[in-house]
Amino acid sequence: MSGDDEWGRLMAAGQDGHGGAYRRLLEELRRWLFGFFVRRLPPGVIDDAVQDTLIAIHEKRHTYDRDRPFKPWLVAVARYKWIDRLRSLSRTPTELLDEEVAVEGHESAVMSATVLDQLLSELKPAQQTVIRLVKLEGYSIEEASARTGQSSSLVKVNIHRGLARMAALVERHAHAE
Amino acid sequence: MPSDALIEKLVGDLRPVRRLSVPRGLAILAVVGAGELAVWLACGMVRPDFARTAVWPTTWWKLAGPALVALAGAAAMVRSLSPDRSARPGLRVMAGLIGVVLAAALLLVALTPADTLLLQRIDPGYGIVCVARMAALSVPMLVATALLARDGAPADPDATALAGGVGSACWGAFVFAFACPIDDPVYLGIWYAIGCLVTALGGRCLIGRLARW
Repeated sequence: MSGDDEWGRLMAAGQDGHGGAYRRLLEELRRWLFGFFVRRLPPGVIDDAVQDTLIAIHEKRHTYDRDRPFKPWLVAVARYKWIDRLRSLSRTPTELLDEEVAVEGHESAVMSATVLDQLLSELKPAQQTVIRLVKLEGYSIEEASARTGQSSSLVKVNIHRGLARMAALVERHAHAE
Repeated sequence: MPSDALIEKLVGDLRPVRRLSVPRGLAILAVVGAGELAVWLACGMVRPDFARTAVWPTTWWKLAGPALVALAGAAAMVRSLSPDRSARPGLRVMAGLIGVVLAAALLLVALTPADTLLLQRIDPGYGIVCVARMAALSVPMLVATALLARDGAPADPDATALAGGVGSACWGAFVFAFACPIDDPVYLGIWYAIGCLVTALGGRCLIGRLARW
């Protein structure tokens, strides 16, 4: 039996109210979601994204059809929350990352963020630069402004527009599939 | 990673759930639609000469066109309530159906002799009344659709809302068609299209808000 079938079976048991199977499923999904988001989001928001997605899986578990594979359902929920998170980041461009998060292992997280890199490469250079500085590396708006020569307002606008475009790109790709 | 406390909380909150399947969703909408139609007919809202006009092409157009689009809209909307299924294939089917219905309206217009002025045929005064009645009659289906969308997890809420909005609007037009006393295809083509469009836009806004999760 594949892992997907096993997760589907555990989710079906969860839909019937079996706590043990459901706990095991959530613990395994927590690890899978962490891996999903670590390649797609800045390090500072990964935990929140995993948490949001676990809550969404719990609240919408009745929409899983046990006659269908579980993985596409899971990926669709995770992708929806990913787009949601990108939109939320674009609405709060001035929010700084936790300093500790920005320093602790941020380099490896950024290096492994292949999907995020691909998305960033679709943006204009000015947008890419400020998103990397502020959202991934933890610089303040003022520091990013000083490093790039963009005014503070332009840094905010570029972050907002860049993240909004990333969300739109993910959404368009999801609809095309 | 989130703490074990969250998982314990979610497990503690676990209750058996009733699954939201496509057949169940369609059954809910069918009950609401059938109930509304039954009440409408039981209240004597059918036009008095309905038996005589039932064989006319315009009556068939008034009933079959909106009914087909409403069915396609309901199917597309309910199907998309699971996040791994999109409403977009259903929207494409609906667009094709709408095209066929509008083409049929043009054909009926071409086949009908025009012996009166266009403005008289359009009759804007009564047309606005028709639009208001269609909108009012779409409300039960719109509410049922919005509640289903809220309960579901559509991954593309805008597409789900559009399918639900257009489907509900066309259901309102279908129910109204039993009472509609006008048979001029010019009038029907214009005012049914406007009625469905206005209601569909309102429905799309309402359902779109509720469908986000």
